[in-house]
Amino acid sequence: MSACDNPNVEKDALMQRRQKFDGKTKICVRCKENTGNVVIRYSVYCKSCFFPLVQTRFRKSLEPSINPVPDGPRKKALKAAGSLVIGLSGGTSSTAMLDLVAKSYFAPKAESDGKLKGGKDHPRNSDKGVWKGKAGVCYVEVCGAFPGERDRTDEIRSVVGSYSNPNFEFIPLRLEDSFDSNWWKEVGGDLSSSAAALGLDMTDEDLRLVNSSPELAPLQALRTYLTSLPTQTAFYSVIQTLIRLLLLHTSASRHASHLLLGTSLTSLSVNLISGIAQGSGYQVPEEAKEEWRPRPDRGMPVRVIRPLRDVGMKECAIWDWWCNLKIVGEPRSLYGGGKNSIGALTRDFIFGLESDYPATVSTVARTCAKLVPKEGSDGICALCERPAQQGVQAWKARISIRSYQEARSSVSGNTRPPHLTEEEIVNLTKASLEAEPTPDSPISLTPLLCYACHTSLTSRSSRGTAALLANGQALNQVPLPLWVRSTADAAISAHVHEKEISVTRTIKMSRDEMEKEISAFLLPEE
Amino acid sequence: MAPRSCALCQKAKAMLKRPKTGQQICRDCFFYVFETEVHNTITEAQLFNPGDRVAIGASGGKDSTVLAYVMKTLNERYQYGLELFLLSIDEGITGYRDDSLETVKRNQEQYNMPLKILSYDELYGWTMDAIVSQVGRKNNCTFCGVFRRQALDRGAAMLNVDHIVTGHNADDIAETVLMNIMRGDIARLGRCTSICTQGEDTIRRSKPFKYAYEKEIVMYAYFKKLDYFSTECIYSPDAYRGHARAFLKDLEAARPSAIIDIIHSGEAFEIKEEVKATQKVQQTCQRCGYMSSNPLCKACTLLEGLERGMANSGITDRARKKLDAGGPAPDNIRTIPFFSRMNSGGNPAIAVEQPS
Repeated sequence: MSACDNPNVEKDALMQRRQKFDGKTKICVRCKENTGNVVIRYSVYCKSCFFPLVQTRFRKSLEPSINPVPDGPRKKALKAAGSLVIGLSGGTSSTAMLDLVAKSYFAPKAESDGKLKGGKDHPRNSDKGVWKGKAGVCYVEVCGAFPGERDRTDEIRSVVGSYSNPNFEFIPLRLEDSFDSNWWKEVGGDLSSSAAALGLDMTDEDLRLVNSSPELAPLQALRTYLTSLPTQTAFYSVIQTLIRLLLLHTSASRHASHLLLGTSLTSLSVNLISGIAQGSGYQVPEEAKEEWRPRPDRGMPVRVIRPLRDVGMKECAIWDWWCNLKIVGEPRSLYGGGKNSIGALTRDFIFGLESDYPATVSTVARTCAKLVPKEGSDGICALCERPAQQGVQAWKARISIRSYQEARSSVSGNTRPPHLTEEEIVNLTKASLEAEPTPDSPISLTPLLCYACHTSLTSRSSRGTAALLANGQALNQVPLPLWVRSTADAAISAHVHEKEISVTRTIKMSRDEMEKEISAFLLPEE
Repeated sequence: MAPRSCALCQKAKAMLKRPKTGQQICRDCFFYVFETEVHNTITEAQLFNPGDRVAIGASGGKDSTVLAYVMKTLNERYQYGLELFLLSIDEGITGYRDDSLETVKRNQEQYNMPLKILSYDELYGWTMDAIVSQVGRKNNCTFCGVFRRQALDRGAAMLNVDHIVTGHNADDIAETVLMNIMRGDIARLGRCTSICTQGEDTIRRSKPFKYAYEKEIVMYAYFKKLDYFSTECIYSPDAYRGHARAFLKDLEAARPSAIIDIIHSGEAFEIKEEVKATQKVQQTCQRCGYMSSNPLCKACTLLEGLERGMANSGITDRARKKLDAGGPAPDNIRTIPFFSRMNSGGNPAIAVEQPS
């Protein structure tokens, strides 16, 4: 491929469009006997070879991470440290994943005569499962964020109920549970009264926390939070974060060692590019595989595995179709935003690539699998609970000057803005300095956030906010998800303690102030 | 509605909305923050040492015209102590470079900087016109891109400078990050966000406009009344990076910080050590002495194909095999002249046009 040819003039200049398959033979490349039924990445497969193909890829992505020591020998047994939670959205890929999990790990292993040897209570037959306890299937209903969308919980419940043999436990959640203290208590979260009242002042670029946030019903709190976001991009990415954290906290409360998500290869590529475009390059490895640690004493680490990360969306759809699975479908609005959201734009872009250049989609995933974050983590982001990089605020201040106070080291003396006098620049930097927090005033959420989450809450677009706030809801008292309140409250206590120890700060003196201090010693000018 | 006052100085009337931050600010504050951000980029990366000789890659387009102006301004304001030169490459495309080279010549006068124009003809014995007549319009960008990069390095060696600065802006870098991910070009992905790269010839190349938005560069030129030529190459108008560029423009429209966010992402990750170990080690071109990842550098490979009448041999494997089957390269094959930089400061190895 030559990258420089002109796509406007020559349609195929950027990449040579390959034929869907070589066209020489329609015989399956695997068994070399049957006539093929499906083309996957330029190769022809028959129906009976398709199932083992997908199942092998699925197991290859999942099994190395099942045993507590990852990538270790697993010939003898697969034995996870805890229980299993499966995230189900009702879409093509997660429906296929649920089916694959049921068939691969929960199908009854009958002896040749159809009877278990030694009876069902025989030690040989008890505790044969890979995971401990009953597997849970967790669904997060998002209709709260999209007025007018129907509630799909019951449809999903019937899909889960259709698997009688593994007998999954259905765990319905709602997006607004992130703001529901009952749910937070159920998953073992702690919340002091000071934390419960914490809110965010979204009108302030410094994202100051306020401690007089009104108590709203969970659904109303969710809507206030979502509508306060400055862009459509932020709206959709925050919803994804809420879903992820709801699933993770629920998994931890069930002592789950694994949370399986039905991200296909295609969706993974979308998430990677969309994440990179939203500034989460530091968290690229987490998109494919992550290990999330709940706060101390709240359970074991949860491994988030995407076992379909090597299987394209098309293959998932074929699996569903040939297995007669019912697709409830995800709400269309979840991928809305059209031209206004980075997530939706990336989705359109990658889906377009997948149909014409399927290799590019896997290239994106393979390239990103070779990346690691650079050294220097600053702890965990309060919002997305993924690793946050050090020094992002200094980086932002250096490359986009948003106030002279931020840039005060380089705006004084001879290098000050030429159209401002020395006095004026001193006043500008001082005015902002005086607004710095004191031990009594609340602190900012900013230092607790990763680059991408901070950008989501602050980066604006000329296309305006997602929607207008309902009556009586103020942008300066926006409720926060409960895990954020809990983390921020702990940070505030630490901050106040720190302030008690160190209360000095440096302010550049203006000539007037200097003069005032020494005025008694100055002789009147002639 | 009453006119808004500048979000930065809160004194003057806001004249523009900054593409990078969305803030409404006055013209003077815009100039000041634009320049200071470039200064921050330069000082944070410690790009220069006092006394450095720095060549500005000047094409006469917007980026390099603004770069020359800003470099001169900052050099004086912050006393970098740099000796600045202009270095232009003439690809030899009739009607393409003529106007923009005039701009560069005018900059030479205005900014009082010495100028060197180096042509493909002088260096490789081929103009782009001649190359296109042999290879056709498809793939000719491969030649132009490889030849231009080498020409800048060789021109810099001729000027005996320590450093080349180019006008690559934030949009260019964000595009490159996306493109390298989509092409799986892991080696380039690892280095495309570094502000400064250095070959073994000790001449450093850097991009002081790494965080400057293309729109702001145009805005700066507009308000400063700097004139430049926006010329599209007649062989491949606006061709480069079609898919990635269109996608990036959509992202920027959805959320303007996307450009800087992509660069931040690119800076936040690196290539795994075990993958790095499998990458090719840099060596020296057996024919011309330029740094290369193969026994022959890309320019020599392309040039050999041109000289032997099989221009595609530098582009496709099949054509390369055909060329190899035709026997080894003849002894009298053209060699690209190699200019070695002198170790200590001193005069350029060639005559440069001094401003009159």
